[in-house]
Amino acid sequence: MTELSAAAPALADDPFVEDHAGSVPRIGWRSRLVPLMAFGRFEVGRLLRSWKFLAITVGFPVIFYLLFLRDRPAGEVVGGTVTWRVYLMVAMCSFGALVAALNAGGTRLSMERASGWARQLRITPIPAWSYVGTKVVASMLVVLPVIVLVEGVGAAFGDVRLGAATWVGLTVLVWATALPFALLGVFVGFLVATEAAFPVVTGLMFVLGYFGGLFTPVNRMPGSLQLLAQFMPSYHHDALALAALDGRTLAPSHWLVLAGYVAVLATAIMWKHRVEEARGLA
Amino acid sequence: MPRARALERPRGVALSFQGVTHRYGPRIALDQLDLQVFQGEVLALLGPNGAGKSTTISVLLGLVRPQQGRVQVLGSDPRRAVADGRVGAMLQSGSGIGLPPGVRVEQALGLVRRLYPRPAQFDQIVERADIGGLLRQRTDRLSGGQAQRVRFAIAIAGDPEVVFLDEPTSAMDVESRQGFWRMMRDFGDEGRTVLFATHHLAEADEIADRVIVLNHGTVVADGPGATLKAAVATRRLRFVTDHPDRATLSELDGVTEVDVCGTGVSIDSLDADATIRDLVGRGVPFRDLEVTGAGLEQAFVALTGCGNGRANAGAGLLAKGPSLGATVRDVP
Repeated sequence: MTELSAAAPALADDPFVEDHAGSVPRIGWRSRLVPLMAFGRFEVGRLLRSWKFLAITVGFPVIFYLLFLRDRPAGEVVGGTVTWRVYLMVAMCSFGALVAALNAGGTRLSMERASGWARQLRITPIPAWSYVGTKVVASMLVVLPVIVLVEGVGAAFGDVRLGAATWVGLTVLVWATALPFALLGVFVGFLVATEAAFPVVTGLMFVLGYFGGLFTPVNRMPGSLQLLAQFMPSYHHDALALAALDGRTLAPSHWLVLAGYVAVLATAIMWKHRVEEARGLA
Repeated sequence: MPRARALERPRGVALSFQGVTHRYGPRIALDQLDLQVFQGEVLALLGPNGAGKSTTISVLLGLVRPQQGRVQVLGSDPRRAVADGRVGAMLQSGSGIGLPPGVRVEQALGLVRRLYPRPAQFDQIVERADIGGLLRQRTDRLSGGQAQRVRFAIAIAGDPEVVFLDEPTSAMDVESRQGFWRMMRDFGDEGRTVLFATHHLAEADEIADRVIVLNHGTVVADGPGATLKAAVATRRLRFVTDHPDRATLSELDGVTEVDVCGTGVSIDSLDADATIRDLVGRGVPFRDLEVTGAGLEQAFVALTGCGNGRANAGAGLLAKGPSLGATVRDVP
C-alpha cells in the first residue's frame, strides 16, 4: 500500500477516496456472512418464483404419485412391512428431491456461467467458493418444501398414516441424504454446455428415477436391473428411508454409497473450479 | 470544468504493471507490459482483437495470475482490492447478457449492492446508470443497450474507486453509445479511475484523458487522444472536381491514399498544405474543399499496422514517422 498511503493526505478532501484510501478495515466473519445470506435468499427466491421450476419440480412427483397409486392396491405390502402407498410416497419424495436438486443446479448454473453472470459475481468481494457453495445450499433449501409437499399429498390422497415423530424423522432423513443430488446438479451445471444441460438433466432424472427403483420397487425388477440399482444414489437414498420406516437398522452400505457420491462429486466440483480459476474462467 | 479539477490534484498510482508477461499456450497475450495509471484518470485501452486488452483487465481483477511480472491495484494485490470491494467491472458478456435470468433489474442490483461492504446509494446508482425506467423489468426482457446500462449499474454498485469496462458499448446503437459515453465520463469526472477497453476509436478519442494503444501485448503508444492523432499527422482532404484523374491525384505531394467516387475525391495526406499547393499548381479545378484531421482511426492503423485495406497507408506512415511509439508520452 506504499503509493496509496503516501498519497492519502493529499486526497483527504476527495469524498470518494478518503473513505477507502490507506488502510482498509478488515471485514469480520459476521459481516462476511451477511452477503452470503443475501445471495442465498436471492437464489432461493429466484427458484421459487420461477413457474417453470415449480411446474417441473412439483408436477412430476405429485402427478406420478397420483398416477402410480392406482397401479396396485394401496395396502399391498411391497417389502418388509411397507405398503404400496407408503413405498410410493417415499419414492416420490426421493424423486422430488432429485428433480428439484438437478433443476436448481443444472441448466441454470450452466446458463449463468455461459452468460458471464457467474464471472460478474466472482469479481465481487464474496470469496471465490461462495458461488458454488451458495448454489448447493440453495438446492438443498428448495428440496425441503418439495419433500414436505409430497408427504402432504401422500397423507391426503394416499391415506398414509404415520406418527408425528415418524413424519419429522422421515422428512429430516430424506432431506439430509439428498445432498448427493444437490452436488450432482451443481456438477452438471459446471461440466455441461448450456445447450446440452437440459437434456442431460432430464435424462439423469429418469435414469436415476427408473433404475434407482423409484417407479417400481427394486425387488420387483429383473435381477440384472437389481444389480444396476446398487450403483444408483437414488436407490440408496430411497432404501434408507424405507428401511427406517420398516423399523430395520439402516444398513451402512446405503450410507457408504451416498457418502461416496458426495465425496466424488464434491472433489470433482472443486477440481473443476480450481482448473477454471487457474485459467481465469471461474 | 470538472475534468480539469481532477487533473490538478496530486495523484497516487491506481494501477501498475511491471514487466508483466502472460501466455495462453504458445500465444502471447501480454509481453513485458509496463504501465502506470494514476488515480482519477479515464484511460482507454485501444487495440485490435487479440491485442491483450481483455487479458489486461482479467489480470487487474485477479482472474488471471500473470506468469511473470508484478501487478498492483490501489497499492495491493488485485485479489485483495477485489475482496475489499474497491473495484468494479463490466466484463464482456458471453453467450447471454451477463445478468441472472428470471429476476427484476432491481433485484439483481440489490443483490450485488449487498455483496459489497460499502455500496453506493441505490438511488445514486440508478441515476448514474440511467436505469430508473428499467427497475421493474425482468433482466431477460432487456434490449442490448438497456442490459449494458444495467451491467454498468452493477459495476458501480459497490461504489468502487476503480472501474474496468471491457468493450462496454460493442453491442450498442449510436444513440445508446453516446449516452453510455456520457455516463462513463461523468463517473470519471468524480475523481475515480476508469479503464475501458475498446476498438471504437471515437470512443477512446472522445472520453478518455489518456489513450493506450496495445498491440501484441505491449504498449505501442500512450498519450492523450489528441496527441496521438497529432503524432500521426494525417489530414483528410475532400473536394469535388468534374473529371477526377486518379493517377494525377496519387502523385500529389504528401498523398498516402486516394478515394474517388463520382466527382467526389477524398485524399489522405501527411502534409495537407503541400498537397493543396500542389493541387493548385497543377491547375486541378476543385471546389468545396474540406480538410479534417483523419481521426484516431488513422492513427490507430498507423500505430498497429492493422486495419483492412488501409494497411498500406499505415505502413507508409510508420516509415515516415519512425518513433511513433515514443513520441507521445507526456502523461503526468
